[in-house]
Amino acid sequence: MYRIGFVVNPVAGMGGAVGLKGTDGRVGEARSLGATPQSGNRAKMTLSLLKKDPDLLFLTCSGNMGETILKEAGIPGYQVVFTGKSESSADDTKAAVQEFLNEGVDLILFCGGDGTARDVFSVTGRNIPILGIPAGVKMYSGVFAITPGAAAEMVAGSDKTILRDAEIMDVDEEAYRSGILTTRLFGVASVPVIAGMVQVPKQVFEETDEERAKDEIARFIHEVMVPDTLYILGAGTTTEAIARNLGIPKTLLGVDVIKNGRIVTQDANEKTLCNLVENEEDIRIIISPIGAQGFILGRGNQQVSAAIVRRAGIRNIIVVATPHKLQETPELLVDTGDSELDLEFGSSIQVISGYRIAQHKRIRQMS
Amino acid sequence: MKTKILLDEEQMPKKWYNIQADLPSPLDPPLHPATHKPVGPDDLKAIFPMELIRQEVTTDRHIDIPEEVQDVLHLWRPSPLYRAHRLEKFLKTPAKIYYKWEGVSPAGSHKTNTSIPQAYYNMKAGIERIATETGAGQWGSALAFATMLYDLQCTIYMVRSSYAQKPYRKSMMQVWGAECIPSPSTKTNSGRAVLEKDPETPGALGIAISEAVEDAATHDNTNYALGSVLNHVCLHQTVIGLECREQLAMVDAYPDIVIGCVGGGSNFAGISFPFAGDKMTGKHKDVDLIGVEPASCPTLTKGLYTYDFGDVAGLTPLMKMFTLGHDFVPPSIHAGGLRYHGDSPIVSRLVHDGVMRAVSYHQSEVFEAAQTFARTEGIIVAPETSHAVRCAIDEALLCKKTGEEKTILFNCSGHGNFDMSAYDAYYAGKLVDYEYPDELIKQAISRIPKIT
Repeated sequence: MYRIGFVVNPVAGMGGAVGLKGTDGRVGEARSLGATPQSGNRAKMTLSLLKKDPDLLFLTCSGNMGETILKEAGIPGYQVVFTGKSESSADDTKAAVQEFLNEGVDLILFCGGDGTARDVFSVTGRNIPILGIPAGVKMYSGVFAITPGAAAEMVAGSDKTILRDAEIMDVDEEAYRSGILTTRLFGVASVPVIAGMVQVPKQVFEETDEERAKDEIARFIHEVMVPDTLYILGAGTTTEAIARNLGIPKTLLGVDVIKNGRIVTQDANEKTLCNLVENEEDIRIIISPIGAQGFILGRGNQQVSAAIVRRAGIRNIIVVATPHKLQETPELLVDTGDSELDLEFGSSIQVISGYRIAQHKRIRQMS
Repeated sequence: MKTKILLDEEQMPKKWYNIQADLPSPLDPPLHPATHKPVGPDDLKAIFPMELIRQEVTTDRHIDIPEEVQDVLHLWRPSPLYRAHRLEKFLKTPAKIYYKWEGVSPAGSHKTNTSIPQAYYNMKAGIERIATETGAGQWGSALAFATMLYDLQCTIYMVRSSYAQKPYRKSMMQVWGAECIPSPSTKTNSGRAVLEKDPETPGALGIAISEAVEDAATHDNTNYALGSVLNHVCLHQTVIGLECREQLAMVDAYPDIVIGCVGGGSNFAGISFPFAGDKMTGKHKDVDLIGVEPASCPTLTKGLYTYDFGDVAGLTPLMKMFTLGHDFVPPSIHAGGLRYHGDSPIVSRLVHDGVMRAVSYHQSEVFEAAQTFARTEGIIVAPETSHAVRCAIDEALLCKKTGEEKTILFNCSGHGNFDMSAYDAYYAGKLVDYEYPDELIKQAISRIPKIT
């Protein structure tokens, strides 16, 4: 019997779609902006793929921190070993994980984002393997499976595979909201591995030649920008360089919109974007893959939803990335949450990597 | 079934074929960079010997190869034509694949076909020193070899990225007594200007040309030599195609498809012009002539057909050609010899008129083909040549689908013995598939208001 400690951060990811860049301490605000809990559904996708495995025993928490989801996913045998006090407390997550350790589980499977990963790891250390089902706003840590489905595959295969090190990254959420991306290494966890299925920690490249490359990209994008067209600029330092070249400010981690060289709106959420694109004829989306993981949609740019992409048209997506970032990213990943749309991206995409220079990159759909 | 089709020494062509004689209308003239008036022989005298200027503009169909030049060419010419039996078998294609092996020259490529006559005519004109540029180092080493034979000094401006990637090309130039300088350099005004703007530039053929032209124009005893693009260079390379036509005739064959890689266009011109002549004069109307470019620098497939400078600084005459813009610095692909923003005016004209066509490939596709070729035919080709190999393989695979038994001829223009770092990069999965974002550029151009 393979014993799995299962814990869900029920509010993880809620801040993403409403432009909060994180949910820590912002649950109420996220709710008022119309966000709905998502992590439960992500976790259910993983569990429903595991319900027929007779060798798994889940130990979990009460309510929507675990029990409800296991029940809904149709997992027959599980034990509730911890009862939480509130739905969003990091202390609850940590206490639950401690209880799993006391019970002697073989693996901790959690669902959340970077904050949740940090909480789980702060208790487990390297003592037992942990694995994340991606549901947060930011997932810079390498402990996350690429999709909920991939997490299921890794759980099913985890007693047979070798463990690997995976960095837990600490993202300063308050700084992140004010436009400063600071990630630091929080620790090195052990994760079960099936090659190609674990997210590589994101890296922010800030070398001299990276800056040069960003400027070259920005110079080119400036040159090919056309009038009367709505440009949606995704998150990241490359798109920031494009705005800088145009002489306008850019929120580093938010999605900004410009038209005819002027700011239309900054730090837009999905709803704002939807309203904006409704009456526009020509729309371009300029996005950059997020860190070394290579997600162009689905991580870090959640505001640019499937609906926005459909409205603009896939051919009007301009992907930009520096050569160094692309070197660390053998393929690009798409996970808009709309698998039909993901498939329309095809098998490769052009990525602008310099002045009048592009790279031909493989693309992989996550769903 | 023969594998090698060989000509005797005395069967080597004694005349070059000048395709200008068979063009339906004359080429658009090169224009003076300052006045934009057609350049005359006097404008070119500062950097070229008169005989080469004559060859640049003549419409005589055949031009004698001087005996002294033939003597040197005999060191490796006529070069062998191979039937690629093993490659055909591997591909299971009904097509017949032939390749002309130009890697047998001392410098390892077709470039010596023109470096020898160019050095010869300069020596005859009393010139003491030649300045030139080189991309991957093929031309630089070929000219170093040629200038040594005629006791001329030689200064070579080598594109910086290649200088670092291919140190042994530089060593070859040294063995043959030439001076090799990474470009952009601080020796010329054009080089200094580029360095000032961008100290980290990888360099480009267009920049190195500016440096060499400036060097020649500012030294009385020095002339300039170009390894591709110009009409006289393409002319000298026609020995390749002329020999091929003879060699194929020996096995009662004539190509359905003729393929060469294209940077400045001379190797493609060399193998294809005699066949293009046959096509234009109606002898073989259906021969398909394909130039193969890198997707990162797709001059013929994605460029504009217009007047542009041949170099970055704007020192050369304006030539009517396909161009990506003389200020375009192509990414540092391993096929350094194909990193040129423009193209031979004659090749450009023939592509524009539909006599020839062009295709482009990414780096990883061409190295995959080069590996297939090395594992079947044995030869490890230069990264530039691998573009032609890719196209030949694709055409052969097309024949497999259609069942056609086409005769495919390609120019196997040089060996890759000094390019093993490029192969290493391929096996390490580090090759970057650069491409040219033409759609974005076109959208932007189409929205620019027309100024009338």
